[in-house]
Amino acid sequence: MKGFPRPDHCPVNGRTCPLAAEVRRLREECHRLLELSRTDPLTGLYNFRHLLSELDREMERTRRTGLPTGLIMLDLDHFKQVNDTHGHQFGDAVLRWVSRLLRDNIRRLDIPCRYGGEEFALILPGTSLPRALKLAERLRRALSETALTQGEHTISLTASFGVDVYEAHEDLSALGFLERADRYLLEAKAQGRNLIWHRDRQPDRAGTAVTPQERHHLVSRMRNYGARETTPVAAAPPLPEQR
Amino acid sequence: MEHARPHRWQPPRLCLSSGKGGVGKTSLAVNLAYALADQGLRVLLVDGDLGLANVDVLLGLSATATIREVLAHDLDPRAALIQVAPGLAVLPAGSGVAELANLPPEDQRHLGRLLEGLCQDFQLVLVDTAAGLGPSVLWFNTWAQYNLVVVTPDPTSLTDAYALIKVLCRAHRRRRFLILPNQVDSEAEGQRTFATLSQVAARFLEVELDYLGSIPADPAVQQGVREQVPFVQVAPKSAAGRALTVLAARVLNSIATCQPPPAADQEEVGS
Repeated sequence: MKGFPRPDHCPVNGRTCPLAAEVRRLREECHRLLELSRTDPLTGLYNFRHLLSELDREMERTRRTGLPTGLIMLDLDHFKQVNDTHGHQFGDAVLRWVSRLLRDNIRRLDIPCRYGGEEFALILPGTSLPRALKLAERLRRALSETALTQGEHTISLTASFGVDVYEAHEDLSALGFLERADRYLLEAKAQGRNLIWHRDRQPDRAGTAVTPQERHHLVSRMRNYGARETTPVAAAPPLPEQR
Repeated sequence: MEHARPHRWQPPRLCLSSGKGGVGKTSLAVNLAYALADQGLRVLLVDGDLGLANVDVLLGLSATATIREVLAHDLDPRAALIQVAPGLAVLPAGSGVAELANLPPEDQRHLGRLLEGLCQDFQLVLVDTAAGLGPSVLWFNTWAQYNLVVVTPDPTSLTDAYALIKVLCRAHRRRRFLILPNQVDSEAEGQRTFATLSQVAARFLEVELDYLGSIPADPAVQQGVREQVPFVQVAPKSAAGRALTVLAARVLNSIATCQPPPAADQEEVGS
């Protein structure tokens, strides 16, 4: 690197130069501010503003290249309970932990963002629906199978997922795309949580079928009562009045 | 359509279902009907199992006409009624006939009108539905205002009862379920069964269940089934007989104080 100007030195004569030092400082400051403006301070993921502009760019890329853009929206299940039982500091730690887990499980080009609250969005450039679903399933399992220990608390977390893809022929804004994926997420919540919803999943059958989770609770709760005495239910109340 | 018809009072309609078969639902329905009639009510027991009717078998009746014939030949439904006790009439269904699924929507509406016409003569209507989650089960459950769910402590019964509640809650917007644990070893077991079901329903369906009281496992029940007589009549002092009398009184007590319920929104089932 001979002859390359050292950062605080004059590019012309190589001597120490306050102007060059100032330029360097400003450049670093600029970089730092740029990072700040697009990251979420708590989790270090990208924030909503960056999510929107990156999504817009990727959708433009889809229109140009014809490769779909994938989008995963996820929301932690019953997160309010975590905050209520263990306090907000613990809740913040959980959010940071989830962010780490997301970052560790996505691919290099994917863009992880915090949408707000306990909701996250992942932009998957050049990704089809089946591949996006595969990734979502990997994340869902990683979350539900990893217990989180923080101090003396150990909790297990799950999340609900809405997965969607944007295709070149669709007339849709970045916000519209987010809204659509968010609707699938809401459906995943409504259908019982800890699951993935998308455009090809039919709400009717799965919505009324008993999920493995419900089955597990029914069977294990009944068994766990065992021989132990339980708090009796209040004496049978009279029939409720109609609506 | 609805507003064109003059407002007529309709007796409360109770529907017994279980999801799983073999939990003693039909026997319970028959005995509950008797116990309610014993309290001085005019009761109509409808055999809602249009595929494999059992109420008539349980009572040793021989039906001359059934719901099916009434529908097919446009008969007066009163012709099909069998008076089995002073205050109790049975509308038999007939075995081996097509399921309600095969009834086109206009026939389903016709059936609803027929039944409602028939109900006028009674003070309480009890429907015994088929096992499973077939169209007729869902139809009768949306037709009735009170959804009683019979469940035993057996995990398969719990799961099937839950499946029924989930379908009715998700696809038919029913929010009120009265749980009736059957064949329990003790009242405590009945309460555990109810607690399990209601906790899971509260968590996943956000629906609250009501406890109606439990019926103990009792040889008198089996004996009644075999001899084709209701156990509340022949063995009123048996454990099951006493529990059933209490249950009937509770049902009666609360609906007697109720206003005539509004007509339920009837949906068409299947197509």
